[in-house]
Amino acid sequence: MNDTVLVLSIVSAIVAGTPILFATLGEVLTERSGVMNLGVEGMMLIGGVTGFWAGVQTGNLWLALLAGGLAGAVLSGIHALLAISLRVNQIVSGLALVIVGGGLSAFWGSSGDSPLIQSFNGVRVDPLLPEALRDLPAVGPILFGHDPVVYLSWLIVAAAAYFLYRTNAGLSLRAVGEDPAAADAAGLSVAGIRYLFTLVGGFGAGVGGAYLALAVLGTWQTGMTAGAGWIAVALVILAGWRPWLALAASYVFGALRTLGFTLQIAGVEVPSDFLNMIPFVVTFLVVIVVSANPERARRVGAPASLGEPYAREAR
Amino acid sequence: MTLRVSVEPRARPALPVRLGVPVASLAAAGLAGAVVILIAGASPFEAYRTMLDASLNGLRPLTRTLVLATPLILTGLAAAVAFRMKVWNIGAEGQLYMGAIAAAGLALALPPGTPKPLMLLVILAAGAVAGALWAGLAALPKAYFNTNEVITTLMLNFVALYFMNYLIFGSVSFWRDPEAMFPQGKLIGDAAQLPIISHRLHYGLLVALAAALVLWWSLRGTTWGFELRTIGDSPAASRYAGMSVSGKILSVLALSGALAGVAGAIEVSGVLKTLDPRAIATELGFTGIVVAAVARLNPLGVVPVAVLLGAVVASGTSLQTAGLEAEIVFLLQGLIFLFVAAGEFFLANRLLLPRTAAAVGSP
Repeated sequence: MNDTVLVLSIVSAIVAGTPILFATLGEVLTERSGVMNLGVEGMMLIGGVTGFWAGVQTGNLWLALLAGGLAGAVLSGIHALLAISLRVNQIVSGLALVIVGGGLSAFWGSSGDSPLIQSFNGVRVDPLLPEALRDLPAVGPILFGHDPVVYLSWLIVAAAAYFLYRTNAGLSLRAVGEDPAAADAAGLSVAGIRYLFTLVGGFGAGVGGAYLALAVLGTWQTGMTAGAGWIAVALVILAGWRPWLALAASYVFGALRTLGFTLQIAGVEVPSDFLNMIPFVVTFLVVIVVSANPERARRVGAPASLGEPYAREAR
Repeated sequence: MTLRVSVEPRARPALPVRLGVPVASLAAAGLAGAVVILIAGASPFEAYRTMLDASLNGLRPLTRTLVLATPLILTGLAAAVAFRMKVWNIGAEGQLYMGAIAAAGLALALPPGTPKPLMLLVILAAGAVAGALWAGLAALPKAYFNTNEVITTLMLNFVALYFMNYLIFGSVSFWRDPEAMFPQGKLIGDAAQLPIISHRLHYGLLVALAAALVLWWSLRGTTWGFELRTIGDSPAASRYAGMSVSGKILSVLALSGALAGVAGAIEVSGVLKTLDPRAIATELGFTGIVVAAVARLNPLGVVPVAVLLGAVVASGTSLQTAGLEAEIVFLLQGLIFLFVAAGEFFLANRLLLPRTAAAVGSP
């Protein structure tokens, strides 16, 4: 029962979807404040290389994830400075982040005496719950078989949803994203809130990258994200900027990214290049479908000020 | 009177500012790069001298730099023309691959006896058409549903990359050499190869330069260019003035894709002589975005900037003698991009020192 194709593929989808979930959720919060950060791919890479390095140094999963998150946050701070304070075009600034993050991680991860080359990470990523639960049919592996980080991600999604819709602080965040001028008039610090949630988004992407390197791949490779950060940017749109939908979308894309593995155990042969293509083709199509229906596009609408810098005197 | 530097938007800065800010941005990026090189335990002075030697000192290094600058001029133009209209084509990478695939396909399919000028014309045109069509896949939804083109063009990059890999590594396709032990593409015939100017420098450079000139003129001197710039500045006003915004989105993205596609065709015809996915997937499209940003979307500015970034890329491997990994090249590109992006603030705004601020009566 627990080694059927369906169960195994759901489990691997959750594992592969978790790094994307952290990145997507972080970007949801960033974009809710009105800042669009396209640099997720770069932040995941820098988080990945830093997290892996910290894992090798300390052997502690939590310290490694923290280090990855902080590295992502530092990089996102550059975007915050450019996009919020200097009011640089956010698309340009985000792309710059991708190239800087990619370059810095490739450079650090491959330099001559780098401790990352061919090192095994000493971090153990064990299941959290006792074996008796994990051996239950179907629900055991799917619900109880994961490492603590997966459960933490569920808690964070719940917390983010509660924060956004049920707290005053969440209302402030949404207000800044929807109408920064009104939020400003109401006494909120538009720049402060945008800085904070740009950093939060960077932290999420960094944690996602670190988890990808430590738990999913188990190693650091240059360019290891292979587009996962870009998928996360797209999933924010598909999820309509909602935390729970971000979770669902991340797992669906986790499933698409592990489709090759699933088909292999199911005994179906498809050229691997086409399998690799699938998440990107699906994203391409779904983004079009979402935008093609104006009724739906309005309902899931983006934060109204998304991508627009705010300057009080420019009113 | 406060002691704060105040900021005031300005319309169009004077020429010294327009040239000075990018130069200062480049210098700042160089300094930041020097810090990274220091941290990595090498001498920045030594590293930069090695880079200069390897890219600009002498005919051979210079031609190497220009060979790399050629596709960067074209991808830089591809980004510049789209970005000028605030259409964010991040897909030059994939459009370039599709151009390369089409060009290699036709070069292999046409009879070897085809006259060289005709052959070259056909494969460059094939590259342009393939790039334009690939961009069109993102342009149609953008024009009619306002679909986010950043996402769609980017997703298409990955699709094109895996498709190209499939043709050479994943199957025995028409493009792949069936005799070779390791997967590799068939060599294209002599008639399909761009003639050489000197060393490895080929006439593709002239194609790229011509494209830069034509685009520069089209943007300044034609109605098409005027409308493009107007739509970029204010889509709502342009629509009110009766311009077809969706038609312009289609034509601009198609042109942008065509430029990237030609870059791919030129790489196959002038440099690689075969469809070689590993050699062609070197981020030429992404670097083109950096080129366009540094050139501030000016087609003529794209040329020197592409040469500069070509020099940075050309010198990458030489850095190993200075004890640095070639990956530093990507980092330098990123730093250049970052500082140039930051420089935009200083072009768009005037900083007023406290005394001047008081003089003009600011709070």
